[in-house]
Amino acid sequence: MFYNYFKTAFRNLLRNKGYAVINIVGLAVGIAACLLIFLVIQFETSFDNFHTKKNQIYRLGTGLNSQDGLSYTGGSAFPVGPQIRIDFPQVKQVASIFNNGGQVTIEGDSSPQKKFNENNFFYVEPEFFKVFDFGWLAGNAETCLKDPNSAVLTQSTAEKYFGDWRYAIGKTFKYENKTLYKVCGILKNVPANSDFPLGILVSYSALQNTYVKNNLSDWVSTFGDAYTFVVLPPELSQNKFNAQLKTFAKKHKPVEYAADAPTAQPLTEMHFDDRFGNYSGHTFSHSLINALALIGIFLIVIASVNFINLATAQAINRSKEVGIRKVLGSNRTQLAFQFIGETFLITLASMIIAVSMAAVALPFLNQLLEVKMTMSLVTNPVLLLFFAITVLLVTFLSGIYPAIILSGFNPITALKSKITSKMVGGLSLRRVLVVLQFVIAQVLIIGMLIVVSQMNYFRSASLGFDKAAILNVPFPGDSISRTRLEYVRDNLLKNPDIRNVSFSFASPSSESNWGSDFSFDHASKNTDFSANLKWADENYFKTYNLQFVAGRPYYHSDTVREFVVNETLLKKLGIRDPKDAIGKQINFWKGGKVAKIVGVIRDFNSYSLRKPMAPVVMSSWKDVYQTINIKIKPGAEKTSLPFIEKIWNTAFPDYVYEYKFLDETVANFYKQENQLSTLYKIFAGLAIFISCLGLYGLVSFMAVQRTKEVGIRKVLGASVQTIIFLFSKEFTLLIIIAFAIATPVSYFIMHNWLQNYTYRINVSVSIFLLAIAGSVIIAWITVGYRAIKAAVANPVKSLRTE
Amino acid sequence: MIKITDLEKIYRTEEVETIALNKLTIEVKDGEFVAVMGPSGCGKSTLLNILGLLDDPDNGSFVFNQIEVAHFNERKRADLRKHNIGFVFQSFNLIDELTVFENVELPLIYTGVKSADRKKRVEAVLDKVQIMHRRNHYPQQLSGGQQQRVAVARAVVNNPKLILADEPTGNLDSHNGNDVMQLLTELNEQGTTIVMVTHSEHDAGYSHRIIRMLDGTTVTENILI
Repeated sequence: MFYNYFKTAFRNLLRNKGYAVINIVGLAVGIAACLLIFLVIQFETSFDNFHTKKNQIYRLGTGLNSQDGLSYTGGSAFPVGPQIRIDFPQVKQVASIFNNGGQVTIEGDSSPQKKFNENNFFYVEPEFFKVFDFGWLAGNAETCLKDPNSAVLTQSTAEKYFGDWRYAIGKTFKYENKTLYKVCGILKNVPANSDFPLGILVSYSALQNTYVKNNLSDWVSTFGDAYTFVVLPPELSQNKFNAQLKTFAKKHKPVEYAADAPTAQPLTEMHFDDRFGNYSGHTFSHSLINALALIGIFLIVIASVNFINLATAQAINRSKEVGIRKVLGSNRTQLAFQFIGETFLITLASMIIAVSMAAVALPFLNQLLEVKMTMSLVTNPVLLLFFAITVLLVTFLSGIYPAIILSGFNPITALKSKITSKMVGGLSLRRVLVVLQFVIAQVLIIGMLIVVSQMNYFRSASLGFDKAAILNVPFPGDSISRTRLEYVRDNLLKNPDIRNVSFSFASPSSESNWGSDFSFDHASKNTDFSANLKWADENYFKTYNLQFVAGRPYYHSDTVREFVVNETLLKKLGIRDPKDAIGKQINFWKGGKVAKIVGVIRDFNSYSLRKPMAPVVMSSWKDVYQTINIKIKPGAEKTSLPFIEKIWNTAFPDYVYEYKFLDETVANFYKQENQLSTLYKIFAGLAIFISCLGLYGLVSFMAVQRTKEVGIRKVLGASVQTIIFLFSKEFTLLIIIAFAIATPVSYFIMHNWLQNYTYRINVSVSIFLLAIAGSVIIAWITVGYRAIKAAVANPVKSLRTE
Repeated sequence: MIKITDLEKIYRTEEVETIALNKLTIEVKDGEFVAVMGPSGCGKSTLLNILGLLDDPDNGSFVFNQIEVAHFNERKRADLRKHNIGFVFQSFNLIDELTVFENVELPLIYTGVKSADRKKRVEAVLDKVQIMHRRNHYPQQLSGGQQQRVAVARAVVNNPKLILADEPTGNLDSHNGNDVMQLLTELNEQGTTIVMVTHSEHDAGYSHRIIRMLDGTTVTENILI
């Protein structure tokens, strides 16, 4: 019996090739998109789930209270970890880790010296490997991470430095041209789905020889890259522990910072909660996952709607077969199964095509999202489950309704070919389904347009400083290198294409920020907010074209002598007139750095446009400079690069030259948004494509059904235009109805999304107009071809067939 | 074989009520060949549909093979139908996507006959209606007469007790029509009961008895044999 069904189904598909192609292509595209979304979600939710204790591991972040409310960092103050061991003996495992970039130099015996700038350099306690399950190829944590001069490399890093990891043991390298480390162990490469991009690991005790040595006992400063992990025993819940951490903070922190308590964040949340961040710099929020899943489901629904529409429209053609089969003794259930079986066949074919489509698209998706996803049944058997569930779900979604309708035909009416489209219950249902399709397509289109507009805004918004043609070049932070800065500046300025050179801690909008509270105007208490400290020489203002609203820039100095602040800082302090601020004193770190304000600058965005304007304090302080800011004549950026590199290498021969254009750094703030907006563009495009595919099928079907009507109308004098109008009028109306539903829905969703950004576009009417105009035009083009074909057909021919 | 008593069937639309069968009483004995005649709209087709268990009556009794079936549900009717009744239609009603062989095989599939058995039986019956040489053709590749022979083959492949024929020669020329009538007569001689609706006096002449209907009830019965 199944063979018979299969045969009928297969021959039916062959006979109605057009509909079969529309159905299979539509479903395949929908399923392929859904499959890719599934892979993305599966990959993003798999982060660090390979650690056996994953459900007991917590990271101690810190909640920071300020005037603007509570914010979080994934880092904690250095003494937190060691003190937890003392105060919480029931917490058996505590591990601290600190990430720091730096230069690694390999001194070969005979081969020339190799230099690398590494971001994945970590100071780790041996306990880290009791908490987490990273595999070892050679050595172990106990022997390799105790001695402050031993280092552990991952396999790929070892291969990069020494060719083969087996030869790496016992070899040495220099860190920051200062500390010599001897390789003692080799770690297996860290899986792609981990937020620990480990490369080089050295003993935590080596921190004693670094710039943070004074912070090791500092309870106030919180370093964003200093993480402490704990394994909580089963009887200690997260809530209970967090409550105890509040007391812990009160006990150990200075009273004015006691409210900034450590807070335990489950490891299972580390990849999803962007408030805390992680070492990979890549988080993927739950709402993002939900949005993607919803889009995937939407695409499948749109494709299923095509299927239902075409199947019910075609039902009339199948009615005779239904009648015969019923007369021959088939009951309704058997028939329903037959039609569901046909749907299953189509879905299966679509699934097979979808898998190949996804396989072709996956490398591009990996490139776009900068991830390494794979689609292999061997390593990922869950995919089989996904295939099975999708095929069953789609078969059910698309097949059940047509099956019920078709199997329900009365055999007598069916045999007499008296089934009309009204009996198929189809017309109004098809209208509803077309509206549903276009609601989904338009919500995606409007959403996509808003995301793209917001992205364009990010790109073009004025940040309050010049970012064009500015090169940021880091330089080594040791005192000898600092003495060469004058040499660098003088030589750079010899090139007429170089307009300005300034030395600073960071650029106006940078990934490295230094924040601190301070005492203003001899106040006894520190401010309840933290200012962004921009240490820079006096040329900084000209280089970035920062505008003064009062006072003047500070004079040249190598130490903190005068301060310049911005308008937001004054607002936070409650000062209305910028002139009133001039001459007031700012006191950092209880007399550590004290000077008077000499100027007030217009606000500029020191963070991404997601965040509000930050209060800024600026001053000169040569000892902390680490960036050269070079303003180049616009158009001469590329030609000046070799010149700058040559001078840099002459000044700092032992170091690796690196550079970044500031506008690239700024664009990088919105990397994830940009990736997603590309994805949304693709998905919205697919949604409209699948919808129009279905529309085309429906109109083709209508054209065939109404051949006689069109013939009669033409004989009676209807023009080609009126016939085209006849065909397009209904669909235009349906799309407009869909638009009326899609507009408030998408407005609501996107309005909420935009709240994530302090600086955002106004959702303008033009976006909605663009969406409706676009949909109508695309639908007209889709419908137009068939409509024109039907309209220009010779009426004599169409009537003769009756 | 068939005994219907006071059978009523009324079609209702919003405004009009049409009485298709009006207290109709008919009996058909095992092995009979009965022709039903009458003008358009007299209820012939409705009668045939009810006899074929494709439709149910509103009132009255319908005893088929000593079982009261007037109020059987769809599943029971389908079950009874596939084991006992074969149909021949004016417009042949073959499934276009299936070959001659597959069309004839279909009733056997629904009654759950094993594949090897099916092949034997289909080939035997195709041989009988002399269409074996066309077994792998599709319906559209055959002439009207050939299609009707396939339809007859399909009607009898299950060895039904009753064949219902609805103007079986209506779409055929006289030569092909006679062939089909000859085929039905042979089947009847081998013991199959036949009820045939027809407009043709010539075709009715093949039967044992003619029931003439008007306005949903019988007016006369001519016994030919």
